[in-house]
Amino acid sequence: MSAGIIAMRKALLKFRLSALRGAVLPLLLLVWWEYLASGDKVHSFVFVPLETVAASLGDEIRSGDLLDNWLASLTRTSVGFLAGGGVGIALGAVLAISRIADRVISPIYTAIRQVPLLGWIPLISLWFGNGEPSKYFIIAFAAFNPTVLNTYEGLRNVDRRFTAVAQVFQATRWQVLRHITLPAAMPAIYIGLMHAIAFAWLSSIGGEFFFNPGPGLGNMMMNGQTNFRMDLVFLGVISVALTGYGMNQALAALSRLTLRWRPTR
Amino acid sequence: MSGLVTLAPEAPPVSHDFVGALTIRGLEKTYRLDGAPLKVLQDINLDFRPGEFVAIVGRSGCGKSTLLKLIVGLDAEYDGEIRLNHEPIRSTSLDRGIVFQDHSLFPWMTVQENIAFALISLNLPAAEKARLVSDHIRLVNLAGFEKAYPKELSGGMAQRAAIARALVTRPKILALDEPLGALDALTRVYLQKELQRIWMEYGSTMIMVTHDVEEAVFLGDRVVVMDANPGRIKRIVDIPMAHPRDRSSGVLHGLRDEILAELTEGH
Repeated sequence: MSAGIIAMRKALLKFRLSALRGAVLPLLLLVWWEYLASGDKVHSFVFVPLETVAASLGDEIRSGDLLDNWLASLTRTSVGFLAGGGVGIALGAVLAISRIADRVISPIYTAIRQVPLLGWIPLISLWFGNGEPSKYFIIAFAAFNPTVLNTYEGLRNVDRRFTAVAQVFQATRWQVLRHITLPAAMPAIYIGLMHAIAFAWLSSIGGEFFFNPGPGLGNMMMNGQTNFRMDLVFLGVISVALTGYGMNQALAALSRLTLRWRPTR
Repeated sequence: MSGLVTLAPEAPPVSHDFVGALTIRGLEKTYRLDGAPLKVLQDINLDFRPGEFVAIVGRSGCGKSTLLKLIVGLDAEYDGEIRLNHEPIRSTSLDRGIVFQDHSLFPWMTVQENIAFALISLNLPAAEKARLVSDHIRLVNLAGFEKAYPKELSGGMAQRAAIARALVTRPKILALDEPLGALDALTRVYLQKELQRIWMEYGSTMIMVTHDVEEAVFLGDRVVVMDANPGRIKRIVDIPMAHPRDRSSGVLHGLRDEILAELTEGH
């Protein structure tokens, strides 16, 4: 228990220090941006002055629009990530454990995987329509692929010494899976989930550009574009970037906490 | 350094006579390398007396690690006979434990969990398992490190935990595959003494493969000298000295030099 708290504090301290260093470049960019925006009319349209962005941030927060859009994107991403990631772990595990499943499913899965997400969009809108289900499907599909691959690799590449030890102690197949293979694969599964959440978030925003309008950060950016409100587009970009960064950090923190046993490299 | 830890004599977890007599007759092992047969062990005949410490030395490639694998049952494909108390060995069993050169502790388990894992197939009450685990943690002097993960242990401590894990099932035979090979010289000398103490306290048959001739003569009741290509027994040397032994004994040094000379012959 206390070891967990100490690890959490350490992680927090490390996070603060690295966040400080990580903030230097974005701040420089903002200064440069502000400099460009302070030029002529064209410049101030294309590079919206930060005070305009700040003002519209205030407006959007007060009206509740930003929160609604943000929540809509976040909800879609979370549901899609959990569904796609969950099914992905399950399929990866089945492929890793069952030779027959591996032989039957892997070839067709590998072929399907070669088609980029964008290539599926016409078919998906044909099958699921242009509304919410398609948006969810795209997100789940994006989260699915990296989880299948990393779960499969993680479970397959367990150090043979460990399985030999388990064999000496007469562990059953199920015990080996539960106590050896699965924990040994956890770091790889986490890597899969990290990729999955990043892809899910990207395709959540991207998907909004292809299907019917509805609440969401992508939609907010599209509206900004059609109404010549570059401040809204910029606001959207910043929200997407910060939220994605936050999700990545949260998952990384979770993996550090649950995989405390991992040797630090 | 260590008070003698006595293991509770009552109720051993596995119901068998504790020590094991191992007999090897006409053992041969051939690997296939790209279809071509490669003989790694040839005509091995060995008798291990119950409770004996046997050290096996030889150059790399003499098949000594393969021999251990066969004894433990990790490889069932061989010609000839390996019998433990008259039963032929064809698979792994709790009768035969092994410690590898790299401790092979599960990094995601604490010391305690690692040792408890060895009892996974035994139908014992949880309290009994916990007692066995803590007894063996004390046996290898790791009390206080129950909750440590392998990454938090030094090489020597990790190897002691691995020895505890291998002994907790009370195997009749303990196979040690260069258990101290990866340790620094000082830790090594210390663990050699520890191993001697554990073996004397414990009383099971131990078979240790090593590169270190000094270690072999210090620990072994007998030293099996092996030759390579194909792996075969060159000579078996008795070490006629009672345990615990004095490392600086002239007799040991004499035997060490004799075996070293034999191993480096023609090199």
